[in-house]
Amino acid sequence: MTNRAKAWFDDVAAGTEIPPATYGPMDRSGYITTAIVLRDTNPLHLDRVYARERGMPDVVQQGPLNQAYLYRFLTDWLHRPWDLRSTRIRFVANVFPDDLLTCRGVVTRTWREHGEPLVACRIWQENQHGGQTLTGAATFTLPERS
Amino acid sequence: MEHDRKALIGHTFAPCRCVLDEENVRDFRGVVGEDHRAMATAAGALLDGYERRVIPPSYAPLIALSSLLRTIDWEKDFALDYSTGTSMFGEQEMVYPRPLYVGETLSIVGTVLDVVEKRGKRPFDLVSIAVSATDEAGAVAFRGSMGFVLFK
Repeated sequence: MTNRAKAWFDDVAAGTEIPPATYGPMDRSGYITTAIVLRDTNPLHLDRVYARERGMPDVVQQGPLNQAYLYRFLTDWLHRPWDLRSTRIRFVANVFPDDLLTCRGVVTRTWREHGEPLVACRIWQENQHGGQTLTGAATFTLPERS
Repeated sequence: MEHDRKALIGHTFAPCRCVLDEENVRDFRGVVGEDHRAMATAAGALLDGYERRVIPPSYAPLIALSSLLRTIDWEKDFALDYSTGTSMFGEQEMVYPRPLYVGETLSIVGTVLDVVEKRGKRPFDLVSIAVSATDEAGAVAFRGSMGFVLFK
């Protein structure tokens, strides 16, 4: 992972790249915890034989877990995690055990609303083959240096 | 006769009581590696201006989905056996007007916004469900929508 210093409103503008972050390899043992939290025991996420019988190479990582890494990528860059204001995420492709997920983003707009400095960005997630697994957008606030 | 999922447009499911409980938040943070000080300790939360420990924002979509899974009767409402993997996530939008705190209780309600029939290799419906989470004071904690691809 690259050094990801916290962001400041003064330093970003449309076109600014959000420092990327890579997570993984994905660990299937985390799927059990996720299933417990979700209270969703769909065997597609837990039973390798079941998944292979349905044409998958392995169990499928739960979509909300894929999304969690994209959220973390963004909120780790913020000073405070709940400076996040909104997200829009589209699920594009499945993630499997041992995948490496690289999260990327680009600022698309900065503005002020009721005095609050706001930033909009495009965000996405790729696997180790360069294929997109999630795409989307987010808005957040950033502190100012002065 | 084919099940008409469009008949559900406008339908609101029963509210789901959801506690952001310590154990689940802790275990989930361990999986994703969420280690921000505001999530880890009360002192860390105070340093960041939060009244108490916050959950990771990455946990919020799980809460929304978990609540829908508990309140929707997929077989009765959508003629779908959810356990067999014949559904996929579509597009999801979330708005966060305030932080979410470890230990708080939310009431989460889903309402079917739209059902659009599509035809790919197999026919499917795009189902969009609005989600609203309110706290014990009745204020909105988060809101959004979740899209599902449900094969026929």
